[in-house]
Amino acid sequence: MTPGEVQRAEEEVLDRARNGDREAFGDLVERYQDTVYTLAVRLVGPDLAADVAQEALLRAWRALPRFRGEAAFGTWLHRITVNTAWTLRKRARRHAVQPLEGDFEDGGLRPERAGELAEMRAGLGRALCALTPGQRAVVVLRDVYGWSNAETARELGITEVTAKVRLHRARLRLRTLLEGSR
Amino acid sequence: MRNPLCFFASRFPGEGPAFLARHRACCLRCQAAAARERSLRRALPGLADEVLVAPPGLQSGVLCRLGEQDAADPRRPLVVRAAARYAAAAGLVLATGLAFAAGLARRQSRALG
Repeated sequence: MTPGEVQRAEEEVLDRARNGDREAFGDLVERYQDTVYTLAVRLVGPDLAADVAQEALLRAWRALPRFRGEAAFGTWLHRITVNTAWTLRKRARRHAVQPLEGDFEDGGLRPERAGELAEMRAGLGRALCALTPGQRAVVVLRDVYGWSNAETARELGITEVTAKVRLHRARLRLRTLLEGSR
Repeated sequence: MRNPLCFFASRFPGEGPAFLARHRACCLRCQAAAARERSLRRALPGLADEVLVAPPGLQSGVLCRLGEQDAADPRRPLVVRAAARYAAAAGLVLATGLAFAAGLARRQSRALG
């Protein structure tokens, strides 16, 4: 299948799901559940991530008739996930310092390089989990997922200045944590 | 003891004031800190390539709980919360202003009477 055909097939599934076809939505859930779950783990830690992912996917189902395709479906789903995680941040705070213990999939790397990378990523993951939920959300959206300051601020319901300040503090704290763990 | 300029250079992202830029250009400690920051910023996007496998029950859990589609805005709770926060802050400012004005008025009436 060419990328164009894949996109058309997804649009077709999306159209069906938008019109209330649960089976089509099941296909979308199957396709996107891992990325939604991964983002949730990054934002709130592994304990709460499954709840956030489930709630985000349910909200997406309810809101699907609103989806007009201005952004990619994955991007729209990510925004809902961020919003859901942020809505549940009080619960997330209780689980704030949690080591990431998920099984990371790393395809096709040489073992020695894969080990190095896995170690570095695990260190980064642990350091991210040690940030406050607010700092973590900003650094994950800006530095990990490459969102703009404006997008990050809008989705977290904060001002751009607050987002920039949080990002700066989060990077300083991350550096300190990573230097301390060496 | 840490040079205060190094401290300020680490606190002001980007170029910042000219004297900090001059300090950064000749301070090895600040250059090392900047290199660490760059390396951190290069490493973080790598996390986006990793995809964790969702728990096995996630998909079935979602499909079991599907209700009716109501086109509800999924961002509404956040918007409502932000509005409530602004309203509370505005209320607090208004109450403080009123209390201040009442105090002034009382003081003036005492002075007159």
